[in-house]
Amino acid sequence: MNGDTTTSAPHCHAEIDAIVARIGRGPHCVIPVLQAIQERYHYLPEAALRRVAQVSEIRLADMMGVSTFYTQFRHEPAGRHTIKVCVGTACHVKGAERVTEAVRRYLGIPEGQDTDKAGLFTVTTVACLGCCTLAPAVQIDDVTYGHLAPGTVGAMVHDFLAEQERRKKGAAARASLPHGAQAGEIRIGQGSCCVAGGSYNVRVVLEDTVRESRVPVNIKMVGCVGMCHQTPLVEVVDKGGASTLYAKVTPKEARRIVSRHFKPRNPLSRLSHAVTAGLEKLLTDETWTPVERYSIDARDAPVCSFLGPQKHIAAEHCGQLDPLDLDDYISRDGYVALRNVLEAGDPAGVVEAITHSGLRGRGGAGFPTGSKWAAVRAAAGTRRFIVMNGDEGDPGAFMDRMLLESYPYRVLEGITIAAYAVGAHEGVLYIRAEYPLAVQRIRAAIAHLEERGLLGADVMGSGFPLALRVMEGAGAFVCGEETALLASIEGRRGMPRHRPPFPAEKGLFNTPTLINNVETYACVPWILRHGPRAFAALGTQASTGTKVFSLTGKVLRGGLIEVPMGVTIRQIVEEIGGGVAEGRTFKAVQIGGPSGGCIPERASDLPIDFEELTEAGAIMGSGGLVVLDDTDCMVDVSRYFLKFTQEQSCGKCTFCRIGTKRMLEVLDRFCEGTARMDDIGELEHLARVVKQGSLCGLGKTAPNPVLSTLRYFRDEYEAHVHGRCPAKKCKALIEYVITDDCIGCTKCAQRCPVDAIPMKPYERHVINTTICTQCDTCRQICPVQAVKIVDKGEGT
Amino acid sequence: MHTLTINGHSTTVPDGATVLDAARGLGIRIPTLCHREGHEPFTSCMLCVVEDRGTGRIIPSCSARAVDGMEIETDSPAVRDARKVALELLLSDHEGDCEAPCTRICPAHLNIPLMLRQIIAGAYREALVTTKETIPFPAVLGRICPAPCEKGCRRAQHDDAVPICILKRFVGDHGLSAEPYLPPCAPASGKRVAIIGAGPAGLSAAFYLQQLGHACTVFDRAGEPGGALRSAIPGERLPRAVLDGEIGIVRLLGAAFRMNTALGRDVAIDHLRSEFDAVVIAIGAIVDADTSFLKLGMAKGGIKAQVHTHETSERGVFACGDAVHANRMAVRAVAAGRATAASVGQFLSGGAVTGLHTRFDSMLGRLREGEMAQFLEGARPGPGLHVPSDRPEELGEADARAQAERCLHCDCRKPEECALRNYAGEYDAKQRRYAGAARRQVEIVRQHASVVYEPGKCIKCGLCVTITEQAREELGLTFVGRGFDVRVAAPFSEPLSRALARTADECVAACPTGALAHSGAAPRQPAA
Repeated sequence: MNGDTTTSAPHCHAEIDAIVARIGRGPHCVIPVLQAIQERYHYLPEAALRRVAQVSEIRLADMMGVSTFYTQFRHEPAGRHTIKVCVGTACHVKGAERVTEAVRRYLGIPEGQDTDKAGLFTVTTVACLGCCTLAPAVQIDDVTYGHLAPGTVGAMVHDFLAEQERRKKGAAARASLPHGAQAGEIRIGQGSCCVAGGSYNVRVVLEDTVRESRVPVNIKMVGCVGMCHQTPLVEVVDKGGASTLYAKVTPKEARRIVSRHFKPRNPLSRLSHAVTAGLEKLLTDETWTPVERYSIDARDAPVCSFLGPQKHIAAEHCGQLDPLDLDDYISRDGYVALRNVLEAGDPAGVVEAITHSGLRGRGGAGFPTGSKWAAVRAAAGTRRFIVMNGDEGDPGAFMDRMLLESYPYRVLEGITIAAYAVGAHEGVLYIRAEYPLAVQRIRAAIAHLEERGLLGADVMGSGFPLALRVMEGAGAFVCGEETALLASIEGRRGMPRHRPPFPAEKGLFNTPTLINNVETYACVPWILRHGPRAFAALGTQASTGTKVFSLTGKVLRGGLIEVPMGVTIRQIVEEIGGGVAEGRTFKAVQIGGPSGGCIPERASDLPIDFEELTEAGAIMGSGGLVVLDDTDCMVDVSRYFLKFTQEQSCGKCTFCRIGTKRMLEVLDRFCEGTARMDDIGELEHLARVVKQGSLCGLGKTAPNPVLSTLRYFRDEYEAHVHGRCPAKKCKALIEYVITDDCIGCTKCAQRCPVDAIPMKPYERHVINTTICTQCDTCRQICPVQAVKIVDKGEGT
Repeated sequence: MHTLTINGHSTTVPDGATVLDAARGLGIRIPTLCHREGHEPFTSCMLCVVEDRGTGRIIPSCSARAVDGMEIETDSPAVRDARKVALELLLSDHEGDCEAPCTRICPAHLNIPLMLRQIIAGAYREALVTTKETIPFPAVLGRICPAPCEKGCRRAQHDDAVPICILKRFVGDHGLSAEPYLPPCAPASGKRVAIIGAGPAGLSAAFYLQQLGHACTVFDRAGEPGGALRSAIPGERLPRAVLDGEIGIVRLLGAAFRMNTALGRDVAIDHLRSEFDAVVIAIGAIVDADTSFLKLGMAKGGIKAQVHTHETSERGVFACGDAVHANRMAVRAVAAGRATAASVGQFLSGGAVTGLHTRFDSMLGRLREGEMAQFLEGARPGPGLHVPSDRPEELGEADARAQAERCLHCDCRKPEECALRNYAGEYDAKQRRYAGAARRQVEIVRQHASVVYEPGKCIKCGLCVTITEQAREELGLTFVGRGFDVRVAAPFSEPLSRALARTADECVAACPTGALAHSGAAPRQPAA
């Protein structure tokens, strides 16, 4: 990915001038210009920024302010490859911290630095890769690895480097695939989770196999199926329409799947198959996680219950649509809603229909969508904007990513309808930069739609013009807040402002602006096709329709689900998710990410409903739902979320900038066992004031994880004051010991990365707790479960 | 037009007016730090929050629009609590001293750094005025004070303390050699105060009560005023001319002296209480076992008096100095006399007796590695002068100035104007309530001819950023970073002189704290 990083002035000047000429000279172009510079040099060389100031209207001060606000930008040169360790919620509860330490240790990166000596790898953390079902996950450049453990990071790095070599060699052109789909269809999931799960390699093998065997099979890329816990997924539909679903498919198995369902037409390849199989194994055998193949039949009980309570509206035709095949979308009622709306010529009627559907914003706060549209429609002035908020930044949430990746046309149809309803002719789709696939697909979809006259100067020949463009976020969670997002589009630091005035009145460039979340737009075509009543018939009185959740954490079947409002949390966790692992107990769900709260198991008969959740101390949020079990420390969870918001605070208002920092310091004291009993009351008071007084939604909701855990799990805070972590999670309060069950197999001693366990064959091993980094490798490797975690001091 | 009520008062304001505008129109004061007329509201400090009764919410009045039917409370308990927390959070991240450690440790609370800067400027008369604000007898104390201030002097951690005591003597001697300085006195109040004891405490009380317009009569059993200063300190250490000279000022201010008059022997307390409006007992250390003549509640070792107000068990009778608690330090007695004067003044004006007003004082504490260098950069290098305290004539003007120039200027450059300090006092904010795990490194940026920038005192209100932007400064200032670590700086570490090429004075005036301040070439007198 890295090229020449030279920044010698004249050389740099020409390139910078070209970038500015291509993107624009105006102050609002600052973020795209900086992104282009960073793409070129992998960081922002000072000389380059000074040049921009010379040749554009962008002030040096603004470049400095903007580039230091967004975490995407670097001011120091980076290594050739970037390793991003995901520290999203699901990854956190599954040990991301240990993985980060292991990666740094493996690469020998000293404290306070982020790049290895050879300049090969820069290690950073990322708020959430949105691959929560693969937790803990790591992304190296564009390759994602899942289910990591401290012991497997070495294998991961080796695999990545080997993969780079393979890519160089395998760039040779491939023969085209046999045409015609007479024999059947093979569908491969192409959501990020599937891609991260290895669906690219599976696809290559499938294509090669099909090509060799000359079977006229159609290989189709489909969007996210939602069963992200089973990625990569391959579905084979034979001539008769019978479907077989394969889960966790490896490239090796892909070949067998093809030969199982389709007889090769080329007799030679039949023969050679057996011969090459051995070699194939060497090339594709998984180096770290032996993955078994599961053939799951859709009639099998777990799949039924996973899909059973679901209702797909935003994710309609889930697992069947090729994300970028416009005809495929159109053949399944796509653009029917827009056509009807344009033909009816009644924009006010559209607003009315949305109002009657009871649709509420899916971005978190649940503001009635119809009222918002009506306000924009009624606002003064002729120029209006439409904006899509796709800056999904909650760790543990990836609904928007899935919708954008899998249903780009549906989202765009919804936006077009909304734009028509409110009279907007220009729009911006703001998508976070951590979602490259979503950005790529939306861009491609816009281009296709413009070609086909479904977007652009004259939408569907109706005379209604709509120009849409994509803006990539630059790494600032706060930009999910609408006024911050608008500031970001305008090329400023993403700092929120007080509302009112709301964007409906004074939005982008001070003109009336409709801003809705991805999922909200995605519901619109369905509502208009089926009528507002059909939508309102789903869910509860005040919360109608469906809601997409990313179900992750300590649950057997994690994934992307869409359920009618009103189902209970318990139904989601137990029926859809299959409950927690054998031997563990379901403790709580964290709903709404860093803005939300923890609902304990005893309250989990709560229905999914905006007001009910708020009442219980959580929020609907954008739909992250992380299941926690008895091994999760609620103080740690609360600290985790607060740390996230504290790091994401824009720093504008006192309560959020300093208040969250001080709250975090108090929580640190709990986790370190140095808190006093009166810290509980002080923390609660400060949390309430921060919630009440902060300027924007980020600060106003940041205390929720703290307040909800104080409400339901106060005893755990008290235990920490007494120096005990009941879930045995807080490092300072626990230690690792080896019990008498030890058989002296030396496995732990061999694997210990810091040599804290002297090797003593056939003897009971002992952990030197002063050296031990609590990486958990020994406990995972021990064949007889002789490694235990105990309260600090208890083991000695 | 919108009609709303604020604290129960109805007002009508035009469309677009903020709640703050409406409140100011009614003459209701709402504290603000980041607000500035003519700027779009930035809404960062959150000090201007008010309660919207309709929604029960706490909203920032600077940017909340006034809307028909609103019911606003600007001073409810919730509002006061939120403001106090906001201030305490800001103060938890405020790396600086309001007052210098030397001033803080001085029992009399002498504004030492200001006195030193006045010495540097050769403004000896002004330095004398500064001194007399808190110490009526600088020439006397300059000879006998054990100088706790010098132990607090931060410079001592590097080489030697600034010789504050000698410099104070230098100032005091200057006062004795010139036309006597008589501080301005309020018009006569008609009230009379009896002060028993003409030692440092009693004389100090008289000095400050006379300035308040109250007529003092000082009683003492000895033949001459001075108390222990005269009886216990040899003349070679404290020349009598110096003592008489400074006591003479008290006389010149109008105080009457009745010498050879002992309380209980020559005059009874009841008599004094009936003849005078207030009585101050400053009789020095109590050695007699029989104190019944005082007719006051007694504590171990002295008269029982309120620590802060110096009120005794009897209304209108105050006690101070060694008579309350023997410590034999003249500067403490002087300080007690001044504090008692303040309480007596409050008593005589019929108001609540609260004692000397103490202002909020942000404290930096011990310096960390590397921070001393930041302070030293603005001070003259070189060691202190080890002048024996009994040979004042050796400290010439040049030496005095050179020594004063060694001062690190630990005190804030905007101690009076600083809105953060003033509101902190008003809301009784506690700086340590939300003390952080680690404080920021002190940084003192001196890249501008007339402006000093201390990032640790910045509250990120953004006023200077906006000012430089609106003035189209070529470089200007910008926010750098995000969240808790955000700071205000010039882009790419360009010097402050380039960032504030045209707007330095405007930024200093707008800055609500001491973060941006004039480097202080011209010493200014604190407001009364």
